[in-house]
Amino acid sequence: MLLYHLRIAFKSLRRSLGFSAVVVGGIALGIGVASLFATIRHALAKDPIPHKSGVLYNVRLDNWDPAKPHPNKAGIPPQVTFRDMTEIMKTDIPVRQGGMFKANLYVFPEPGSGRPTRTLIRMCFADFFPMFDAPFQYGSGWDRKADQGPEPVIVLGEEMNDKLFGGQNSVGKTVRIEDREFRVVGVLKPWRPSIKFYDITQQQLQAPEQVFMPLGWLRPMQIRTSGNSDGWKSPPQPGFEGVLVSETTWLQMWVELPDEATRQRYLDFLGAYVTEQKKQGRFPRPQRVEVTPLMKLMDEQGVTPPELTAMVVVSLLFLAVCALNLTGLLLAKFLARAPEIGVRRALGASRKHVFLQHVVECELVGVLGGALGILLSLAAVGFANGWVKALFNRGDLIQFDATMAGYALGLSLLAGLVAGVYPAWRVCRIPPAVHLKLQ
Amino acid sequence: MEMGPILRAMRRNKVRFGLIVTEVALTLAIVANCVAMIRDARAAMVRVSGFDDENLVNVRSTPFEKAFKEDGYLDNALDADLRSLRSMPGVRAATNTRFLPWQGGGSSTEMRPAGTKGEMLRTQIYNGDEGTLDALGVGLAEGRNFTREEVDRDTVRLRELGRNAREMGPDGLPREKFLQEVIITRAYGRLAFGDNPLLGQQLEDSDGDLYRVVGVIDHFYNPYGWPIHEYAVFFPNRARGYEFGSPFLIRTEPGQALAVAKAVEERLLAVNNGRNLRVQTMDEIKAQYFGPQRLVSTLMSTVTVLLVLVTSLGIVGLTSFSVAERTRQIGTRRALGARRRDVLQHFLAENWIVTTLGVAVGVVLAFALNFGLVTVVEGAKLRWPLLAAGVLLLWLAGLLSTLAPALRASRISPALATRNV
Repeated sequence: MLLYHLRIAFKSLRRSLGFSAVVVGGIALGIGVASLFATIRHALAKDPIPHKSGVLYNVRLDNWDPAKPHPNKAGIPPQVTFRDMTEIMKTDIPVRQGGMFKANLYVFPEPGSGRPTRTLIRMCFADFFPMFDAPFQYGSGWDRKADQGPEPVIVLGEEMNDKLFGGQNSVGKTVRIEDREFRVVGVLKPWRPSIKFYDITQQQLQAPEQVFMPLGWLRPMQIRTSGNSDGWKSPPQPGFEGVLVSETTWLQMWVELPDEATRQRYLDFLGAYVTEQKKQGRFPRPQRVEVTPLMKLMDEQGVTPPELTAMVVVSLLFLAVCALNLTGLLLAKFLARAPEIGVRRALGASRKHVFLQHVVECELVGVLGGALGILLSLAAVGFANGWVKALFNRGDLIQFDATMAGYALGLSLLAGLVAGVYPAWRVCRIPPAVHLKLQ
Repeated sequence: MEMGPILRAMRRNKVRFGLIVTEVALTLAIVANCVAMIRDARAAMVRVSGFDDENLVNVRSTPFEKAFKEDGYLDNALDADLRSLRSMPGVRAATNTRFLPWQGGGSSTEMRPAGTKGEMLRTQIYNGDEGTLDALGVGLAEGRNFTREEVDRDTVRLRELGRNAREMGPDGLPREKFLQEVIITRAYGRLAFGDNPLLGQQLEDSDGDLYRVVGVIDHFYNPYGWPIHEYAVFFPNRARGYEFGSPFLIRTEPGQALAVAKAVEERLLAVNNGRNLRVQTMDEIKAQYFGPQRLVSTLMSTVTVLLVLVTSLGIVGLTSFSVAERTRQIGTRRALGARRRDVLQHFLAENWIVTTLGVAVGVVLAFALNFGLVTVVEGAKLRWPLLAAGVLLLWLAGLLSTLAPALRASRISPALATRNV
């Protein structure tokens, strides 16, 4: 029966091609705009690591000024100090853990010759790779023992490996960074999470760094952060050591806590640590420790700009106008067909039958419009990606994925239904006799 | 004009006219809010920084030669760079400062009037040299500029200060206070000192170190993460180091920014090639900063245009249908003596009433939507003149969309009335 309705609907659309093009085009515009805007927002709002985001927690401790809270929205520094990171990593409650920061160091293409390039390097611990599921092409991350020494080992991103070693397996080869030689232990596969979720303190749209180095090297090499560092008190001593013992916060601290019980235990541990530090005159503010799940942190840090949400609302209203338009046009079309319907009703077609047939026709318009709309939004996504590439040097941020395909399809079915119910109802109530008389 | 037939016709076609009313109302609500957002984004983009943005070039020099780790070498290299830049054809002024406008940030600190126990007031803070104001293209409103001697002297003093631990007093603050001359913006001066004269006033930071105001600039706007866009303090110092390199701002002769930006890398590498250089014109930096806003306003503009088009098409469709359906009635009216322009008027008036109803509902809807956008997502606030423009636009669109079908209706022959279908 449905197939029969579909065939009739197709015939009806084919009969007046110009009119059909207008109604399908109208709904296509609506779906195109709605799915484009939703896709742009989705790029930032979606879970960047869906299978693990539930167990990844960001750690924050309020070591700020007694006079007033940290000026951000949450009122707590988004990062931790070096001394606190070092101390709280002595526990083994989290399955995996590590502080980290980014540095801007010289990587030498060929030791001794050629100009070096400044490169963003992620200073982190061995747990970084399994904790954030960094995918390896060759080799693996370093082990926890290498964090201690620290050992001169690094992991390369796929782009850096292409640049330095032409994409070959470079495990075991050496790379000079500043004035030291490092041994490559692993090379990552292309890794492009939608946002740089492990460090959303700034430039979240940047791709992950291309070199990863044990954080322990910061001391021997006197490496400073190139990210944000927030302080409220001058370091107690000048120079590099002063930064390390200061109240300045500049490290992102992450832990993996598999369940609620572990989370509670870890919170207790942090609470005890801060209480202990308070006795030594630190942490002058009311005690506050935060262990925040990734998605909540993204929300709090405003990773998705509110303008994008506003645009999604506007796009849905736009689609509503397109659907209303469709209602008007279909109503006109169906009622113009009244005599024919009268005849069909007189020949025995039931009201339900007539109603269903017209709803199917509306849905067909909705789905055809939806398909065309998806094509339109794909083209527009390409355009928007070009824009993002010019700004943030990555052309793959906005992706029309399965979720978005479902969203667009759902919207087009809904639009077809909402637009079609009234015209179909009107047309099925046409009394059989009136139009027969007129003929 | 006879309103009777129009109103009666409308009453008989409630749904059809209701559709147009709703469409027009929604369209007005969306268009007004979109345009408000676009205007907000545009306003931010044309906001004047106070600097000679079009003619600014930013150069960042980051050394990799070990020699740069030594202070004397670093200072000499910096001097050589500045000399070379200032004598470069097309360059009007060059400075060594960490201040770089249109980044959405910079560096900031807290100060308050010296000796008071008032609230600490956050301000942007940057180093400057004797050429900084000239390079930015801002004039002094009051007081004097930094002198070369001041910059050299404070560079050495600050370096000493950073090298040794400071002796702390019983209050946990450094025992000996450090005093520097500073140039501040009028906005920050007013925040700290109200309407009092600014020259000679002193500020203190959280360490109790002092800053004496020797100069005031009127125009300064640099968007920042905190609402301190117009607050700034410049202190004399050189910005240089092995890790962070040395940043320069160059102000070129009008229209020379691109040419200078192209030639500057080679020129500076000829001075010293133990470093890498990054060059950007301020136009490029601004384009990056405003990229997201520009994307939003492009998308919003597109939606606005499409929306008005879709709604107009809808009106054309419904009116055409209305005309087709009433062909016989129109023929009859014509046969009974109605003139062509009466028929034309009928449809235009009918549409005008519907559109007016639509915009009336639309005005309410626009404010409701705006209220939602402003409270939930910090959208732009809606203003009456803009809404009035929207109303006019929709009236016009409604009229134009009715014109073709109405003209067609007016050409219906009276003879039609006598024919059967």
